[in-house]
Amino acid sequence: MAYELREARASYDGTPVLDGIGLSVEPGRILVVLGPSGCGKSTLLHVIAGLKEMDSGERLGFAGKRFSYAFQEPRLLPWLRARDNAAFALSGVMGKAEAERRVDALLEAAGLEEAARLLPRQMSGGMRQRLSLVRAFAYPSDLLLLDEAFQAVDLPTKLELMDVFLRLWKEEKRTVICVTHDIEEAVYLADDILVLSERPARRIGGFRVSAPREGRELGSGSSLEDESRLYGLILGKGPAPGR
Amino acid sequence: MAALSQAPAEAPRANEVKERRARARRSLAGALSALGFFALWKIGSMAIGKEIILPPPEKIASILLGLVATSRFWEALGATFLRGLAAFGLSALAGAAAGFAAGTRPLVGAALAPLLTVIRATPVLALVLLALLWFPSGFVPIFSAFLMAFPVMATSAAEGARAADPRLQEMADLFRVPRRARFAKLRLPAAAPHLLSGARSALGLSWKVVVAGEVLSQPIRALGTGMQEARAMLETGTVFAYAAASILLCGATEWIFGRLAGRAARHGL
Repeated sequence: MAYELREARASYDGTPVLDGIGLSVEPGRILVVLGPSGCGKSTLLHVIAGLKEMDSGERLGFAGKRFSYAFQEPRLLPWLRARDNAAFALSGVMGKAEAERRVDALLEAAGLEEAARLLPRQMSGGMRQRLSLVRAFAYPSDLLLLDEAFQAVDLPTKLELMDVFLRLWKEEKRTVICVTHDIEEAVYLADDILVLSERPARRIGGFRVSAPREGRELGSGSSLEDESRLYGLILGKGPAPGR
Repeated sequence: MAALSQAPAEAPRANEVKERRARARRSLAGALSALGFFALWKIGSMAIGKEIILPPPEKIASILLGLVATSRFWEALGATFLRGLAAFGLSALAGAAAGFAAGTRPLVGAALAPLLTVIRATPVLALVLLALLWFPSGFVPIFSAFLMAFPVMATSAAEGARAADPRLQEMADLFRVPRRARFAKLRLPAAAPHLLSGARSALGLSWKVVVAGEVLSQPIRALGTGMQEARAMLETGTVFAYAAASILLCGATEWIFGRLAGRAARHGL
C-alpha cells in the first residue's frame, strides 16, 4: 500500500508553510521532493513523520511506521566513535550486540570499516556524512527521510555520497522521501519527483522519472528529458503531468 | 622529493617541541611568581621585625616540619580531609541533580532560583554560627561547606544541562532514543565541561568553608581547631603553619581532581 499525504496544510504561528500539498510514494521507491530553499520542505518531512501537526489534511499509511533520517549536517555526537554514533540511534529498537552487528555490516558496505573507531573530529566531512547515511540505514525504519542530505559537501564528495546512498538503498530497497533544491540530484536519485512552489509550498507538479536507473550518469545527458521536464514545471512552460 | 616526503613526519615533531617549550616557559613563570611572593614575604617580615605579626617563611617551614612529626597533626589533617570530602561529595551530587533538573525543567529552575540566591547571599560566618546552634561541632563544617558549595555546583549543572546542541537533541527525538541512553550519551557528556568546572570550584570552596567552620566550632580533631588554639596562644607561626597545611591539602586534591577530569575527558566523557 502506498504512503499518501492529502491536502496537507501546516503553519507556524499563523504563517502558512504548506498549502494543500498531496503526495504519494509506493513502497521501495524513492520520491524526491524538489523545491526552492526555505519553501517548507523540512516542515513537509516533519508532517510526514508526525512530528508536526497539520492544520488540515490526511496522512494515509504512515501510522505506526518507523522513520529514519539523514540531515544536511551529519549531527554526530562528538564524543562517540563512529560505530557507537550509529548504534546510539538504534538504542531504542534493539540490543547493543545486534545494533553493533548491523552497524558493522553497513559501515563495511559504505567503505567506512576502517573508520569504525574514529571520533567525528578525526573524520573528513564526506566520511561524517557517509556515517550519517549508515545510521539512517541501520535504523530499522519503514521510511527513510533525507533532508538535503547531500548539500553541505563539495561536488566530488556529493557524487560519492549519492553513490554510497544508492548502493545501500539497493540492498533492501527501502522507501525513501528525499527533499532537495538540486535538479541534477533529483533526476539522479528519484523514481518519482514532486515539485513545490516557494513558501507557502504548493504542489506545482510531479512525474515518474523516465531514464532507467542503471543508465543514469551525472553530466552525461542521460537524464536530459527528465531535466527538461523539471525545468518546464519550475518555469511554468511545460505541461504538468499529474500522477 | 625526499624533503617533501619528510615534511609531514616532521610537522608533528616540531609542534611537540614547540608545545614542550611553551610548557617549560609556563612552569618558569609559575616558579618565578612563587619565588617573588616568598621574597616579598621575607622582606615584609624583616621590615616589620616582629614574628608575632609576620613570621618569616623559613620559620613557618620549620614549624610545619615540627607539626608533621606529631600524630595529632595527622589526625587533624585526616579529620579535616574527611569533612572536606563529605561536604564536596554531598554538594556535588545534590548540586548536579538539582541543577540538571533546573536546567531541563523551567518550573524546577524557577522554584530553585530564589533558594540559590538566598544561599549565595548568606555570609559564611552567619551560616556557621547558625549551624553551631543546630548540630554537633564535628558536623558544623560539613553542613556549612555543603550549603556554600551547593549553589556553585547547581548553577554549573543547570548551564550544562542546557548545553546540549538542540540539533543533536532533535536527532535523538527523531530516532526515538530512550531517555536513559539520551541522558548517558548525549546530555551528560555535553554537560561534562560545565560539571567539571563547577565541581572544581565547589571543591576549593569546600576546603575554605570546612576550615572556617572548624575554627569556630572547634571539633576535637581538625586543622581549624589547631589554628584557633595557636591564635589563642599568640603563636602566629603555628597559625601560618596550619594555614599552609590546609592550602597544601586543597592544592593536592585540586591536582588529583584535575588529573581525573583530564583522564575522563580523554575517554570521551
